[in-house]
Amino acid sequence: MNYTYSPGWTTAVREVIIGATPDEGGTRRISYRIGGEQDLPFIGSSGHKPLIAFEICDDPAIWPEVVRCACTKLIDRPADWAAYADTVLRADLIRINLTSTKRRNFSDFDGVIKTVKSILAATSLPLLIEGSADLEIDSEVYQRCGEAGQGERLVLGTAEAARYRSVAAAAIAYGHCVIAQSPIDVNLAKQLNILLREAGVADDRIIIDPYTGALGYGFEYTYSTMERIRFAALKGDMDLAMPLISAPSDSLTVKEVRESVYSHEAAIAWEVATSVAAALAGAVILVVRHPGSVPPLKEAIDTLWTEKEGV
Amino acid sequence: MALKALDIYKLLPKKNCKECGDQTCLTFAMKLAQGKGEPDACPYLDDNAKAVLGASTRPPIQKITIGMGSRAFTVGEEFVFYRHEKTYYHQPGIVYLISDMDTEESIREVARQVRENCLTRIGIDLLLNGVAVRADSGSGEQFSRAVRIVSEGGDLPLVLIAPDPAVMEKALEICGNYAPVIGPVTPDNVTEFCEFARKYGVTLVLKGDDLPGLATLSEKCLSQKVQNLMLDLSGSSGRYVREATLTRQLALSREVTAFGYPVFMDASESGLSGVVTGIAKFASVIVTPPLQKPEMDAALVMRQNIYTDPQKPIQITPGLYRIGTPGKDDLVFLTVNFSLTYFTLQGYLEATRRSCWLLIVDTEGMSVLTAVAAGKLNEFVIKDAITLFKLADEVNHKTLIIPGYASPLSGRIEEVSGWNVIVGPRDAAEIASFIEEELKV
Repeated sequence: MNYTYSPGWTTAVREVIIGATPDEGGTRRISYRIGGEQDLPFIGSSGHKPLIAFEICDDPAIWPEVVRCACTKLIDRPADWAAYADTVLRADLIRINLTSTKRRNFSDFDGVIKTVKSILAATSLPLLIEGSADLEIDSEVYQRCGEAGQGERLVLGTAEAARYRSVAAAAIAYGHCVIAQSPIDVNLAKQLNILLREAGVADDRIIIDPYTGALGYGFEYTYSTMERIRFAALKGDMDLAMPLISAPSDSLTVKEVRESVYSHEAAIAWEVATSVAAALAGAVILVVRHPGSVPPLKEAIDTLWTEKEGV
Repeated sequence: MALKALDIYKLLPKKNCKECGDQTCLTFAMKLAQGKGEPDACPYLDDNAKAVLGASTRPPIQKITIGMGSRAFTVGEEFVFYRHEKTYYHQPGIVYLISDMDTEESIREVARQVRENCLTRIGIDLLLNGVAVRADSGSGEQFSRAVRIVSEGGDLPLVLIAPDPAVMEKALEICGNYAPVIGPVTPDNVTEFCEFARKYGVTLVLKGDDLPGLATLSEKCLSQKVQNLMLDLSGSSGRYVREATLTRQLALSREVTAFGYPVFMDASESGLSGVVTGIAKFASVIVTPPLQKPEMDAALVMRQNIYTDPQKPIQITPGLYRIGTPGKDDLVFLTVNFSLTYFTLQGYLEATRRSCWLLIVDTEGMSVLTAVAAGKLNEFVIKDAITLFKLADEVNHKTLIIPGYASPLSGRIEEVSGWNVIVGPRDAAEIASFIEEELKV
């Protein structure tokens, strides 16, 4: 006798394609389909395996100290850092956080675009770009990043309810995807997706970031919000049927990690624990910053994914 | 299927004798319907009513207590699939694994770690729960030697892993009366293990080749009147997630009562990520080799997070807190006792690398915005907190910095408390620039 249950799912999460190979008009060696799930995470035979993105930055001043210590020689060379994440760490995706744009009176747009182009040349993995967070410069930053990566089907972030137009405009103009971030709330996530759609972003170009609270400092809210978004999607809410991304970077700066005598082990443990739980709640892109987190997280996702056809 | 309160009421004596502790038979029936009462509390039930109620009013997942004394822990008695539906009630025990081939010294060291490791967060002690001893030697003497070393303290709950009944019996002679969990129970040894369960009252861990095999074993134990059972769903993490999800669903819907027992998970192969998987997905006992300290902390905090009741925000005890080593002239910030607000503000204040005071007032765990809207944060609560926590004794100025979202209260606070109010930023992230630019100190 085989046991089954009928959860009453009616809908699949939308598929989103990120990255573009030469056949698809880009220069990446691979493109990924994410989403497509028709059941809870790691259950059922549909959907795509979660991906691991390694996040780097172009101005390490605000980067977690423990990561600066772990990446000393690369920290000021984003292109080499990206190549290292690709060939040595074997991450699935690279995310460049343009932290330089978050400095006061930032104006070096040319420098940022040069960095983005050097990363696109240094790695052939699909790229996520986390840009500025300031209405005054957003338009120029996103427009120029979008242009620099035209055809590559980048993932541009972060759109928020208060400032989404620049990101949306760049994504539409140059054919990229958008990360839609809302503060740990199902309804706000839904509302932002609707705003983006009204701005002209196609539903299959949106990835939901419900914001990942730090482990021990509110992660449980994120966990349940992810579960609720996934549940709503499977039950037919098309405004929430987009894949989820989780970036547990806040877990790297909590007191327990900062003050640990084993700071690297702590950083890895907290980042991996948070990422695994996020994957179990439905996240399909897991963004990590500590190089030591990639191998154990990869192994954990592989193990969760095995024998998936089983039950 | 679960019975409705009125169906249950029909089976009760309707005497309203109050001997069950409830005021009326109807309130008792409502309690039973929610799975919150025991039919045995009523002394006047006939056998038929007992049989009907016993099967349908017990929680969909059996409650089991493991160990004796202050470190005993209870698992099971869960009612929901998602934590946001209500809450998860009984957090899983994290149990460190040793082999009976280990040296006496290393066994003692693991037992010491389990006994002494403690992480205190928001006033709650997070502890490991017990020790699992695995019979790798195949010898009853060797196994009981290891069990004896661990039980010396007499306090730690035990999991005994030995499929051979002859080996298991040796250990039970030592610790059988302290409510250990024993296994693995398979079709080969189920008869002997059921006898152990009847003799010592221990909990059995059932291990089937697949879910149907597990259900058969569970039914077999029940037919032998053994009800303290756990389901061993160990396997690759992926298989675990699928089987744990399925058994939880089928247990909650009461479609397969054979699965209505807490889940046992051996995470020896998968380490921290396996432990996290068990915590998130329904495990009640998680066995793992000793973890490194940072991994253990992450696992304990994850467990605390997932088992936090979503209906009640975590609160921080109201009081006057020190950031760094503040003196009489340092700034006083005020905020609410919602733990996330406190943690966020504390983090940003610490990041400014200057000492200051933080006055936490009781808003029943509400955030600033909600507390202001609901009237839980008001001038009187603030005045009382200033008095109660003797703020005036600690500083020689009379200025409070309040959260930006509490700005509508600033005038009234000044009137009622006699303190000057400065309205701070809405977002704690801006506190450093606020101090620098607005206060210019």
